[in-house]
Amino acid sequence: MQASIKKLNTTSMIEIQNISKQYSLSKKQQKELQTNAATINAVNEVSFTCTPGSVFSLLGANGAGKTTTLRMIATILKPTKGDILVGGESVTENPEKVRKKIGFLTGSTNLYDRLTPGEIVQYFADLHGMDKTIFEQRKDKLFTQLGIHEFSKKRIAQMSTGMKQKVSIARSMIHDPSIVIFDEPTSGLDVITANSIIELIKQCKQDGKTIIFSSHIMSEVDLLCDELAIISKGNLIYSNTMKNFRTEFAHQSLTEAFIDIVKHDGKNFAKA
Amino acid sequence: MNTILTVLKKELKDTLRDKRTLISAIVIPALIIPLLIIGVTKLQKTLMAKEENKQLKIALIGYPENIKTQLQDSTVALFTNFTVATGKEAISKDSLDGMIEFSTDFLANVNDMKSGKMNLYYKSTNFLLSSRISEKLEVIKSQILNERLKKLNISTETLAPFDITKVDIATAKEQLGKTVGGFLPYIFIIFCFTACMYPAIDLITGEKEKGTMETLLSSPASRFQILIGKMLTIAIVGLTAASMTIAGMVLGLKFLPDIPADFLTTINNMVSPKFIVMLFAMLIPLCLFFAGLLSAIVIRAKCFKEAQTLVTPLTFVIFIPAMLAMIPGVQLNWQTAFIPILNIALATKEIIAGTINMGQYAAIVLSLIALALAAALFSYKQFSKESMVLK
Repeated sequence: MQASIKKLNTTSMIEIQNISKQYSLSKKQQKELQTNAATINAVNEVSFTCTPGSVFSLLGANGAGKTTTLRMIATILKPTKGDILVGGESVTENPEKVRKKIGFLTGSTNLYDRLTPGEIVQYFADLHGMDKTIFEQRKDKLFTQLGIHEFSKKRIAQMSTGMKQKVSIARSMIHDPSIVIFDEPTSGLDVITANSIIELIKQCKQDGKTIIFSSHIMSEVDLLCDELAIISKGNLIYSNTMKNFRTEFAHQSLTEAFIDIVKHDGKNFAKA
Repeated sequence: MNTILTVLKKELKDTLRDKRTLISAIVIPALIIPLLIIGVTKLQKTLMAKEENKQLKIALIGYPENIKTQLQDSTVALFTNFTVATGKEAISKDSLDGMIEFSTDFLANVNDMKSGKMNLYYKSTNFLLSSRISEKLEVIKSQILNERLKKLNISTETLAPFDITKVDIATAKEQLGKTVGGFLPYIFIIFCFTACMYPAIDLITGEKEKGTMETLLSSPASRFQILIGKMLTIAIVGLTAASMTIAGMVLGLKFLPDIPADFLTTINNMVSPKFIVMLFAMLIPLCLFFAGLLSAIVIRAKCFKEAQTLVTPLTFVIFIPAMLAMIPGVQLNWQTAFIPILNIALATKEIIAGTINMGQYAAIVLSLIALALAAALFSYKQFSKESMVLK
């Protein structure tokens, strides 16, 4: 690996350097995709950086490679090529150190059905080796912030999707990570629950955390983001600050601009 | 180690709240097995007694009068109004238990010191009937024989050149070991394996299916620690089920009605610290082997149903060697000591009988440990593959 990749850019919290993720295709998958290729690139030589304390949004259509990218940042998947530095640690060389710094919220709201919210956050706090007193304080803060106290004695199986998502967020934030990764955090939630999650993301930003999240909802992106990147078919086709993006597409709504960029693969799209 | 314990603690809490696991690992082995043993034995005894005391309905065709008189007693009702055809029909319809057809020259032949012929018609499904009628006929037969010998002036001893008295020197412990000893491991291996199946599917495929595996993998716990924590939980459930099965069987045997006193003493002595230590030294690696094997298989499945489909054929692979140990003649030796499952079943028989060869026992324990390690390693290799752990 090149030394230049290992060294963290001092102004970035997450530095993604030329990462690719390749999957082998089975005969069945080749048939389904109507291709003879033995492999497929889910993510292809993607690079971008997230500034500390900012909210970074990763946009893209379904199957664009957003979740694969987020999973690589969270060390769940290993890049086939390239590297990612999270808070100065390489995901390929020190995945354990990276995992201590991050909080990851997947797109799924499923949790352990037979446990209570308290037991779930306790489990993840123990995995992070948290001190008991700090854990209790942190749990109380998060439960109050997310309104979990009122249903904290219930088992997950008896909860609504919104309640589960709140518990999922508390679980990913319990160890007070400096970097938070949210994969479509408001997907499938009612407006009230979605709003409480947006408020939490804002709070995270105020607390100086770096947040990277994927979303389909452009109003959320507009409300929260400082930086954004658009991925299409595994390739990074656009990356900029939100401020520049707004200036660049002043005559269009965010949705129109997004569609335009994806349509033109990030080239020759209609700018302001 | 702390992380493994954290995973183990959580998985145990989660598993113990699952009714299906509790039923298969604790309720059925600890309650149903003793009830089944006592219930089935009692039922069998009741049915046997009923069958033995039942008045037999026997039809006689072409019978000599003296034979009829000799057969007649309170346990038999004799009928003389049947033909062979109607008698057969009555037997098939269960209105008659049996029919004896004497040949026309039966009496003449008996009187001439020849063999009188008779046909006994019965249903082999009526398993006590043949022996009950045969016993009665044997009495008449020996009376006739004695009369003939008397007539010929021959001592009955002439027909018995030697008299055998069987002296069984097998202790009650050995008898128990070779009989119940084969059945005990068969049952606890089945319960141990089936009890491991559900938590393996729930903790591995279930977590993958729900998507919680992804979150867990993003925590500081390594894949190895997660897998070992889960494997230990599966093994503990299996071990609990096996222990409950053994306890249930011992309890069932102890409360069996009319159990001989020396058998009862043997059962009481069987549950000695030595027996428990020796058994658990085999059971622990066996449970870990099951846990490793099942984990490696269920991780390939994307959903609960697929995992069940993958695991079901394995059930037969496990049960067949356990069943082999019940076949008479299959014994523990240096070859069978290295056949997984069969070895633990045979060794249990020998431990109960008190005839275990310690060299072979050590080889079994070591081979089971090696097998458990190989299964864990295989499972870890599967668990390390991204395509396996993610949906």
